[in-house]
Amino acid sequence: MSNTPTSDSLITTDVQTESTDRSAVSGATAVAARDLNVYYGDEQAIDDVSIEIPEKRVTALIGPSGCGKSTFLRCINRMNDMIDVCRVEGDVEFGGKNVYDDDVDPVALRRKIGMVFQKPNPFPKSIRDNVAYGLEIQGFDGDVDARVEESLKGAALWDEVKDQLDSSGLDLSGGQQQRLCIARAIAPDPEVILMDEPTSALDPVAASKIEDLIDDLAEEYTVIIVTHNMQQAARISDRTAVFLTGGRLVEYDDTTKIFEDPEEQRVEDYITGKFG
Amino acid sequence: MATDNATGGGFGEVSRLRGIAFEYLSLGASVAGLVALGVLLVYVAIDAFDLANASPEWLLTYFLTLVVPFLGFCLYSAGDPAITRRALGALGGGLVAVAALFTAIEAFVVDIPRLSWQLAYLFVVVAPVTGYLTYVGSRGRVGAVGFGLLGRLVGGVAVGLAVGTLFLVFDELVWFLAYTLGVLPAAGLYAYGRWRDADRAASAALPVGLVGVVAAVFLRGVIATYPSDLIIYLWTLAVPIAAVGALVVAGRGSRTAAAAAGGVPLAVATATGFLAGGLGVPGPTALIVLAVTGVPTAVYVHRVIDGGEGVVGLGLPLLIAAGVIAGALVVEAWGVPAPDPWLDVSYVTEAPSRTPEEAGLYPAIVGSVIIIALVAVLSFVLGVGTSIFLEEYTAGSGLVGSLTRLLQVNIANLAAIPSVVYGLLGLGLFANLLGLGFGTAVTASLTLSLLILPITIISAQEAIRSVPDDLRRGSDAMGATRWQTTKNVVLPEAFPGILTGTILALGRAIGETAPLIMIGAATTVFSAPSSLFNRFSAMPMQIYAWAGFPQAEFRYGVVAAGVITLLIILIGMNGTAILLRNRAERGN
Repeated sequence: MSNTPTSDSLITTDVQTESTDRSAVSGATAVAARDLNVYYGDEQAIDDVSIEIPEKRVTALIGPSGCGKSTFLRCINRMNDMIDVCRVEGDVEFGGKNVYDDDVDPVALRRKIGMVFQKPNPFPKSIRDNVAYGLEIQGFDGDVDARVEESLKGAALWDEVKDQLDSSGLDLSGGQQQRLCIARAIAPDPEVILMDEPTSALDPVAASKIEDLIDDLAEEYTVIIVTHNMQQAARISDRTAVFLTGGRLVEYDDTTKIFEDPEEQRVEDYITGKFG
Repeated sequence: MATDNATGGGFGEVSRLRGIAFEYLSLGASVAGLVALGVLLVYVAIDAFDLANASPEWLLTYFLTLVVPFLGFCLYSAGDPAITRRALGALGGGLVAVAALFTAIEAFVVDIPRLSWQLAYLFVVVAPVTGYLTYVGSRGRVGAVGFGLLGRLVGGVAVGLAVGTLFLVFDELVWFLAYTLGVLPAAGLYAYGRWRDADRAASAALPVGLVGVVAAVFLRGVIATYPSDLIIYLWTLAVPIAAVGALVVAGRGSRTAAAAAGGVPLAVATATGFLAGGLGVPGPTALIVLAVTGVPTAVYVHRVIDGGEGVVGLGLPLLIAAGVIAGALVVEAWGVPAPDPWLDVSYVTEAPSRTPEEAGLYPAIVGSVIIIALVAVLSFVLGVGTSIFLEEYTAGSGLVGSLTRLLQVNIANLAAIPSVVYGLLGLGLFANLLGLGFGTAVTASLTLSLLILPITIISAQEAIRSVPDDLRRGSDAMGATRWQTTKNVVLPEAFPGILTGTILALGRAIGETAPLIMIGAATTVFSAPSSLFNRFSAMPMQIYAWAGFPQAEFRYGVVAAGVITLLIILIGMNGTAILLRNRAERGN
């Protein structure tokens, strides 16, 4: 993994080559938060965040540890419900509906939103069963094998595993496992994919494969990615949201803008490594 | 080496004395326990098989006809000259060493009771060498095939006998109806659904099966005429086993081979079942045993011959059988004195008696097997259910959370309560209040299930807790309900650990005596229980009763034979569970 960038020119070049073409087009909103506050017991993890995340774009959430970016991610598919002491106030809109409304079934919600975790967590099952897991639990009655193949191709893993679909998912290398998890997440064809630091447990080569993959995924899915690696955010994302300590969203704009000419001095300090 | 130079050189030395002392003390402690257990088992075995009266000639004969060919087989399978040299060295050197040491101790120190140097050699040298060579041999291809075949033969006979025993108690007519109306149509629908990719047929299988089973229970009293037991076993057990075996072979080889692998054992089993009645052997049991043994054996033999590797290994059962027969012929012809073992066929097939020579353990064995089968099912279902509830479903806070913690503490305490108290509970609750009867098999099973339930729950909880949270969150994030996560991810991963805990708990249940005494189980019954509500006796009860008999033959020979039988059944049961567990682990 590379160090925090110290020279602006490096970041700028990357942003221009990778993602300016997409960010020029303005899309519809996929996920929006309004006045979102999250508390763990008495401690406030997210402080009055409002944000609109565009459809079929890569949106990166960056910020120092403990700034609430992962918490925000988990609010979108209500994974925070699993934590007893967690309390959420405000709205998170997905598909024009507040996901915290009483009539929303969190399990049904999660079937429309895929998630990839920091540590690859394939199930101790065969590669095929791993990818087909979401289809199986949702009672998918089409051609499962075709979907498995399609998803593995979508996760750029098909060529490596097509001859060993029946061997365990745990036999793969770390980077392959993470791509398997991505294949698992996209198999049920969700609308949004949440990624919580998906490359931080991987070596640089595996990480760069995942980055290429994320770029491709944005053709079809809305990708929201939490990352500690600022170069990565600059390389792959169209929009960047910067969270700073206390769970406040400090700045949210096109990635080019954030990395070239941020409004806030604190954001510039954080990006250039003077603070964080 | 660099590190050696470093510690010996300029860096000084770090004392490891305490660590080394600890290491050897713990080694000594574990070895002392094993040696004590080993000595006990040696004496029990000597008593049970009357080895004290075995003449050296008898021992030599069987050593030459049985042990030496077996060791030769293992060495051939290992195919390693170094191991062969070491084994020969150990056998030869051990002979000299044991003989010398034994004679020296007898001459100068103390007279060793009921043990000759030949027996000491047998237990101290031959048994460990055989064990080691069995292990080494089983890793070679030929040995793996030989032991695989032997395991299927022995395992098939054991499973067949156990199933036959269970049918002594459980109503085979209900089973006949349930199988015909429920199990068979359900299996058919499921297979059809999978084959034709018709999901509706496959998902209809479970409801159809349940309706069939419920209908069977109601129709049991309505229908008046039934086929004979033999036909029922043939239809409900032997034919499906043969069909499954044939299908397995058909998936790999030709149709002729499949028909042979399923059909020949089935024909032999059926013929023997019908003929056995004339010989005084219960026909249905013979049918089950032969079918359960024959079909897997035939499938295995076909697989080995098809694979073409280690075919020679298939001769192992023949080698052993030939060794036993040859030994018996030589002993007969030579006329040397042979031991008269207490543990023989009549011991395990006949009822207790006042004379030690005629005493048998059969009713107690049947009682124990039935109780263990019930306890295994009850405690597994209840224990796993409770632990899933406690680990996966209860919240950590609020009223439910407090209730959970209260439950947890109580379960942990229940595990420490003496078994006599559970006996009292069984007496009060099951025998008196629910009226299930004093000393009946069902009361005993329920009581013993309660007794081991805390252990089962706690170990199952541990196993469930050790499933990484990553996996649960991965499944939750896919939109799985809690039940789907539990069923698809948590339970398969925790299953081996759950089984390990259940095995340990069952081992405790099979040896319990105190709660059985409390609920009024008989120490001695003269016929096997024919229903769950009959009086019964269990092996530990019967052994305990014999230990108090005035004749010395009871206290030594008959009790020892009982202990060995109990151990064999316990090891068989644990072995089955361990095989299951290993298979589940490999499945991951």
